[in-house]
Amino acid sequence: MKKTILSLTLVLATGLIFAQKKTTTSASVSFDATTAIDALPKADNKTVVAALDTKAGSLAFEITIKNFAFSNPRIQEHFNAEGWMNSDKFPTATFKGDITNLKAINFARDGKYSATVKGDISIHGVTKPIEADGFIIVSGSKITATSEFKIKLEDFGVSGGAIAAGKVSKEPTISVLAEF
Amino acid sequence: MTMNSKSNRKKWLIGALILLLAGVAVAWWIFTAKFDDTSKVQSDFTVTAPAFIKEFQQDIKKANEKYSEKIIVVSGTVAKIETVDTTANVKMIDSQTGDYIIFAFQQQHLAEARALKEGDAVSIKGSCSNGVYSDILGVTNISFKRCAVNK
Repeated sequence: MKKTILSLTLVLATGLIFAQKKTTTSASVSFDATTAIDALPKADNKTVVAALDTKAGSLAFEITIKNFAFSNPRIQEHFNAEGWMNSDKFPTATFKGDITNLKAINFARDGKYSATVKGDISIHGVTKPIEADGFIIVSGSKITATSEFKIKLEDFGVSGGAIAAGKVSKEPTISVLAEF
Repeated sequence: MTMNSKSNRKKWLIGALILLLAGVAVAWWIFTAKFDDTSKVQSDFTVTAPAFIKEFQQDIKKANEKYSEKIIVVSGTVAKIETVDTTANVKMIDSQTGDYIIFAFQQQHLAEARALKEGDAVSIKGSCSNGVYSDILGVTNISFKRCAVNK
């Protein structure tokens, strides 16, 4: 009887330690749309919700657009305005996808693994397929996912005079960091 | 050209130059301005965390219209501190529903966030972004940016 209880406890404990679905509410997403003539259009959002299922290899992100913090008040106002991200109408950006080379990643063994993620990204009410490379870093029970990629603003219906004038990059760089 | 018309033209040119310089100065001021230190900014609202979360639970649209981009002082209990890389976010959680407020700190106030402990009673001032429902977590989260501990 004691052995059975001990075995069950071990099974439950192991299950908890290696829980497959991990989430965080403090992932960060940064975007850099700076150009040679304007260093202001860049911002960080450090309260991104993210989920990683280590068994299924799925990855998801939810980003509150208004929580991108800029250094300049006017640029932040423009970013959220109707002509740009229209964050009152489209309050979040999301990503849902899968790690395509899941077999190459051993979540039970410390290391830095190259990862490719493929899925759908929704920004400004427009959903597009996307594929991005990054890394999965396993360190004990901690898993860190990082990636850096570019998006084309016009693909998501974001345009404006500032882009045409070269003040905002047509293809901002997006950097992602999530620790699970 | 008479002396009078020459003089008028000169006045117009000087006027136009002054206007141009003023325009450049205003544009320079607008686009190089930075957000103030939140600890020194006057707050628009002072609330308690449970009452604040409840407003979002009752009518998220109305609460967003009321609080979005406003400077708010929120008093409550630290439920969790999440430190990642250079980030230190503080959370206040409604234990009944899991709905939460999350505060991302201004660079110069990060040490204040790191000094807090779970269970601390604290008052935090920051810019309320908005509340959204998370499909991933199945709860509502209200996020803040540029926060500082309110002293």
